[in-house]
Parts: sequence; structure tokens; C-alpha cells
Amino acid sequence: MRRRATLLGVHAALVYLFLYAPIAILVLFSFNRTNQTAVWQGFTLEWYRSLLHNALILSAVRNSLLVGAVATAIATVVGTLAALALGRHEFRGKGATRALLYLPIIIPEIVVGAALVTFFGVVGLRLSLATVVIAHVVFSISYVAIVVRARLSGFDRSLEEAALDLGARPLQTFWRVTLPLILPGVVSGALLVVTISIDDYVITSFVAGVGATTLPLQIYSMLKVGVTPEVNAVSTLLLAGTIVLILVAQRLQQPPPERAEG
Amino acid sequence: MRAARRLVVVGLLAAWVAAGACARRGDEPYPGPGEKKLNLYIWSEYLPQDVIAEFTRRTGISVRYDLYDSNEPVLAKLQSGVADYDLVVPSDYMVRILIHLKLLRPLDRARLKNLGNLDPRFLNQEFDPGNAYSLPYVWGTTGYGYNRAKAGHAVNGWAPLFDAANGGQILMLDDMRECFAVALKFLGHSLNSTDPAVLKQAADLLKKQKRLVKTYNSSDYENILASGDVAYAHGYNGQLAKVAARDPAKFAYVLPKEGATLWMDSVCIPARARNVESIYAFLDFIQEPEINARIVNGISYASANVPARRLIDPRILNDPAIYPAAEALVRCEFVKDIGEATELMDEYWTEIKSF
Amino acid sequence: MTGGERSSERTAFRLLLPPWVILGAFFLLPLGVLFLMSFGRRGTYGGLKPIEDLGTYIASGKFLAQYARSLHPIYLQIFWRSLWMAVVTTAVCLLVSYPVAYYIAVVAPARRRNLLVGLVVVPFWTSFLIRTYAWMFILRTEGLANRLLMASGLTSRPVELLYNDFSVLIGLVYGELPFMILPLYASLEKLDLSLLEASADLGAPRRSTFWRVTVPMTMPGVVAGIILVFVPSLGQFIVSDLLGGAKTILAGNLIQNQLAVARNTPFGSAVAFELTAAVLALLFAYTVYTKRTGQDVLL
Repeated sequence: MRRRATLLGVHAALVYLFLYAPIAILVLFSFNRTNQTAVWQGFTLEWYRSLLHNALILSAVRNSLLVGAVATAIATVVGTLAALALGRHEFRGKGATRALLYLPIIIPEIVVGAALVTFFGVVGLRLSLATVVIAHVVFSISYVAIVVRARLSGFDRSLEEAALDLGARPLQTFWRVTLPLILPGVVSGALLVVTISIDDYVITSFVAGVGATTLPLQIYSMLKVGVTPEVNAVSTLLLAGTIVLILVAQRLQQPPPERAEG
Repeated sequence: MRAARRLVVVGLLAAWVAAGACARRGDEPYPGPGEKKLNLYIWSEYLPQDVIAEFTRRTGISVRYDLYDSNEPVLAKLQSGVADYDLVVPSDYMVRILIHLKLLRPLDRARLKNLGNLDPRFLNQEFDPGNAYSLPYVWGTTGYGYNRAKAGHAVNGWAPLFDAANGGQILMLDDMRECFAVALKFLGHSLNSTDPAVLKQAADLLKKQKRLVKTYNSSDYENILASGDVAYAHGYNGQLAKVAARDPAKFAYVLPKEGATLWMDSVCIPARARNVESIYAFLDFIQEPEINARIVNGISYASANVPARRLIDPRILNDPAIYPAAEALVRCEFVKDIGEATELMDEYWTEIKSF
Repeated sequence: MTGGERSSERTAFRLLLPPWVILGAFFLLPLGVLFLMSFGRRGTYGGLKPIEDLGTYIASGKFLAQYARSLHPIYLQIFWRSLWMAVVTTAVCLLVSYPVAYYIAVVAPARRRNLLVGLVVVPFWTSFLIRTYAWMFILRTEGLANRLLMASGLTSRPVELLYNDFSVLIGLVYGELPFMILPLYASLEKLDLSLLEASADLGAPRRSTFWRVTVPMTMPGVVAGIILVFVPSLGQFIVSDLLGGAKTILAGNLIQNQLAVARNTPFGSAVAFELTAAVLALLFAYTVYTKRTGQDVLL
């Protein structure tokens, strides 16, 4: 038993190493004194300083955070609704609805992007941050629905039925029983969406209008002239912010010790 | 299930807010003279930031700009009809396409004060006769850069890119027309040839060449050359000249003797542009000699502005990679839209890339 | 239909209104427009060639020209290679992820779980493009991996690690890994450990407990993971451009080239819809299978 646990631990450690190797490199080189070569030339904070004056990057970060937040909020709610309907109810057109929810992740991003920009053209919706949000919501709903639905499928409905039998109103049942049960699914769905939204390049490049340049678009045009340390620096900052966020969220989620469960 | 209903309401509300936000943006009244704006859509690294800052300082016009690294997004954005750009900088053949699709607005010559600064050699090109729609911004050639230490012998034509001795040391632009231009020129044909037999010959050559190619790359080829990963990098002169200028003992740019692509990126006004005052202010601004020289010094690409020349860094002005002699350009050609032959070329290109 | 079922259906429709409206308006409708375009022909300057007479156009069968073209061996070979890359990527992701998810959900101390899950996601808050460039930096001829290999004496000359199928695979697996780990974790996490203990108490060997109890119970997560990984890797194109040196064309590159570079929207959309149809057929086959086995693990 112990040996198996150790082996699993070693494997997990190696996978985390694989996940973090490129990240470690980009963090390291955000402190590199030179921007010419890929050789370490000494420590500097120069790139962070120049970042503060790079209006392009700053506005791209702002756009990305805004789009990510709004798209995640909408997609999480809508995706959870879809998962609840599919997991808890029987209705006509269930198969079609399932298919509809799978389509956005089945269809290559490039097609979604091309289709959306053609469509916005037809209906005369000017490209802006709002069109980026719409596009992100469209491809995110499915991810939330799938993750939440996977979470729902393992739960016994008897818990909810018991609550209803004991006289709880449907509303109470939802908030007190269903939501806590599916919350991990909802949270990981939302995390997934933020991740995808903040990182999307392909679809965004189609639907972004004037001044709606998000970070990936900005980075792509900067990468054209080589990976500048400034790009590394802004990624490092985003990363640091995320880690702090996750640590805080974990603190908040931690149950009091006496109620801790396995 | 009242909670569910509430969730529905929240979801709809959010969607409605999102939709409303864009509708409002769409209905925005045309900016009056009070709010001066300019929305640029331009190649990355084509406009130094201090030049933009200077423009805003002088005119009070705030500039927003988005960047691209190939011509096709320009077409896509303008074709969508819903992008608010005031100025775009497409290349020659794309200018032709945009004119044909009626996506550009004619220039009002009466409002252009600095038109006289432009070298007539670069005006009145086939893609826009009489410059009704476009003004040259920068121009250049597509040749290749090489690493002197790794290249054995004197280099002046396209041959090294097809030499088996250079296997694994070659980088080609990831661009159908540019790669075909290399093969066609090497074989002694026009790079706009539409003869199926000639295209087949060029395709076979490129197919054979693929085994020697380390990577196809159109974005940071000059850095890959500089890093030493390849000995030969096919690419645009400005970026390669920058690498050569940093370390002339090690790198050089070649404009092959068989001829190459000549290209010109021009400033154009999209048909739906709205900030007309700002557009003409900017068009004049970038052709002021002092400003134009600052642009050229910053980006290492040649402009068509004559009086700017005395203000351009002599190292750039006298660099044959950036300002080649007229006789070096004799065999160079602009890429033209080849119409129906595009599909055949595209099929060959897919074949070359997929085996 | 009983009254209870009917009210359940009403609730379901209410729940589904927002997803239906959003996906209908901003997804199905745009796709429909593009689908229609796949029956057209490329105009000289891109866009569509005007159709003079719809009747003769349909009668001549020209509306299927794009689909006919896609059956050319060049394109079939591209589809085959894409399928193969996606299968390998998914298999590698599954093999690598299952033990990790198992470790996080079952072996690791409960208080560390959220942290470990968070750590899976964190790298993905940096730009995908930057991460891909970081891999290029690691795998280059004079890159980190080669320096380590040579320092350790495993090789004396740099190995070509970049611009081949190996580097494309690394990039694909790297990009898709969390989409496998997260759903696996979600289903392993709610696994009833007492069942495993019961199985062990009853004398079942650990291996058979794993295959007979753990794996079947986490099948929903496995399937969700496979779909979340397989499908996007089918349409990938940036990884093969950057890490593969743009030397191979996958279905995603083909579509991207046709839509964005060759400006052949009809052919690009035709290929896109073929790809979509293939995946839909796969999913359909799967649902038929699950109906028979009574295991509804999809949505």
C-alpha cells in the first residue's frame, strides 16, 4: 500500500514538473538582464518597470480580465442550468440538447470564429469587447455543462427527494442540498472557463474589434518580434495573482477542523 | 424550482446586458469635432510608439491601434463590415483586392499637403493606378539572411536554399506565395506565372526542398537565424537587415540575383472609416520629413519619402539590404493576385506541406 | 405522460431557455450561414462566386464540388494523420492523468486536494502561446533539453527534438492535460472509498478491485476527459505550426489555411463540416453503445 502510494506520488510529482518546466523558464527569464539571447545574463527588475509604462499591455490585461470575468459569470450560470436540466429531468429533445451542448467543443475554434464574424457582419453588430464576450460565452457554456453534469451523475437523487419529503421547499432543497453537492463541479467548471477565456487566441482574433485587443492577441503580436522579457514579466505577474487567488480561495473553502471530512 | 427561475432570470439578464452593451456601442453617434480619435490597423512593429505619442501631443487626437502580421486579417476585418478602422496598411496585391471589393474609400487629394514628398518611382503602381486609394508607407524585398560562419562559399542567388548540403539548416517563410516566388524565380519564371506546367515544376522543386527545410516560419524567423538554429532564413529585408546590422561579421542579407518579391505596404482608408479629420491629419503627419525619418530609423524598412532621406540614419540609408540600388530591383516583381490559378497553387502547397 | 413528468419537463424547459437562446442565436445561426457557404464556390477575390441560376446550379451538382474535392488523397491523408495524432494525444493524456487524478483524489491528504487541483490549472493562466514558445526554447537545438542531455552524457551531439511529430505531441499533451485531469478528479473524488475497502476486505486482489470497481465507477470522468481532449486536439493548428515547424498539415491547419489564408471559405467550411460530422458520428455511436449497456455517462 505504502509503496503504491509512493509510486503514485512520484508520478504526480513528475507530471507537475512537466507542467511547470516551461512556466519556470518564463518566470526565470522575466528577470533576465538581456533581451537579445536566451542566455542568462544576471538579475534585473527592468522589465517589470517598463511594463508599467507599456500602455498596450496594460490595456490588454484589463480587457482580458474584464472579458474573462463577465464571460465566466454568464457561462457558469447558463452551463449549470443546462446540466441541471439534463441531469435531473426528462424532456422531449434531450438528445438534441445534448448534441447542441457538445457542438461548441466539437467544432474547431477557427470555424466558430469565422462563423461568428460572418454572422456579426450580417446582423450589423459592431465588433467590440462585447462581441468577444459573446464568443467566449458561446464556447464556454459546454465546458461548464459537461463538468457539472459529470458531478451530478454520481449523486443519488434520494438526498433531494428526502429533503422534499421532509417538507423542504424546492428552493431550499436547491440551495441546501443540490448546490452544495454540485458546487465542486460548478467551481471547477468556472475555473476551466476563466482559463479558456483568458487564453483564447483563435476565436478572439476573429471577433475582437478596435481597442478590444486581449492579452493573447497582444502577446501574439509581440511574439512576432521574439519573446520579449516584458511578455514574460506580464505572464509572471498574472501567474502570481492567480496563485494568490487560489490560496485565498482554498483558505476560504477549508472546513473547520471538527467538520473535516475525507 | 424558484431558484432555478431566478437563475434563468440572472442568465437572461446577463446575456441581455451583454447584447445591450454592443447594441449601444453600435448606435454610438458619430464622434463630433469635440472627440478626436483615430483607429489604426497596422502591421506589428511598423509604427514606433514615440511617433504615435508625438502625433497625439501635437493634434490632441487619441490613437487606438490593433496589429496584424499577415494581410488576410485585414481583408477579413474589412469584409466583416463591422470593424471600426480608420486606416489600414495592406500590401500591394491586397490593396488591389480591397479596391475590387469596394472596401476602400478614395483619397481626397486636395486634403493631402505632403503628397509632393513621395518619390514618383513608387507612385502609380499597377495595383492602384493613379493612387486613387493608397499611398506608399514602406517597401522592401523578400530575400534571405544567412549565417556567414555556416555558409561555406560566396552567396548571391537562391541556390543555397535548394542545396542538399544545407539540409536542416534552412528556414522558409510559411507563406504560399513567397515560397512559390522563390521556386519560380530560381527556375527563371515570373513569380506571377499562372501556367499549370510551370506551377507544377515549381511545386516539385519545393517538394524536394522540404526535406532540407528545418521549419516554415513567418513570425520570428530573424530570431531563429540570430539564435544559430538555422544557417539560411528566407524573409523580409527589414527584419533580416536588423539582425545583420547588429552583427555584420556574422550575418548578411541577400537579394538574390535571379530576382525576388518586391512589396509595398500602403496606407488606405476603409470605406466605412468615420474619423475623417483625424485620418488626413495622420496621413500628412507621417509624410513630414522629420517624422518619416523617425519611422524608418525605428523599423528599418525603406519609405518612399524623398526629403526624409537626409534625416535617415546613414547606416540604414546606405544599407543595400534596405535601400537597394535600382539595378538590383530590375528582376524583382510585385506579387499579383493570380485569380483562378490560386486554387491550383493552393492545392500544390497543401500537398507540399502535408506529405 | 404523467403529471409529474410533465412538470419536470416544464422545469427543464425553463432551465434550458438561456442556453438554448444563447447557443441558438450566437452559435447555430452563424454555423448555419457558414454551412450554406460550403455549397458555394470561391469567388476570384475570395468570398463567394455569385450563382446565376440556383436550379441549374443544383442540378449540375456543382454545389457538392467542395465536398468532392475533399476526397482527394492529399486531404484524406491529412484527415488520417489528424485522427492519429488526436488518438495518441488522448491516450497519452489518459495514461498520464489517471494516476495523477487518483493521487490527488484518493492518496493525497484531504486538506491538500484543492491546492493540488489548483496547481494543475495554474500553468494555464499564462498564455498558451508563451507556454508553447517556452517549449520551443526547451527543445531547440541549443536549448535546455539538449544541454541537459549532453551534460548528463546521454548524447554527445544535440538531438533534433523540435520541429517533428515528437514536439507536436509534447505540445498537444501539454495543452490538453488539465482537461483530462480535472474531470477524472471530479469523478474519482466522489468515489465511495468504503466500496474499495469492502472489495479489499472480501479478499479481492487490488488489481481486480481497480478494474472491477474503481474504473467502472469513474467511467463518466474518463469519457468526459476523452471528449474534452480528443475533440480539441482534432482541430488544433497552432501547435503543429509552432512546434512542428509548420511542416505537417493537420485538419485544423487545413481549415485555417482555407478560411484565413487561401480565402476559400466554401472549401474551408466544407472540411470543417466534415470534421464535425465525423465527431458527431463518433459520439452517436457512443450513445448507442451506452443505451445498450445502460450506462449513460455522457451529458
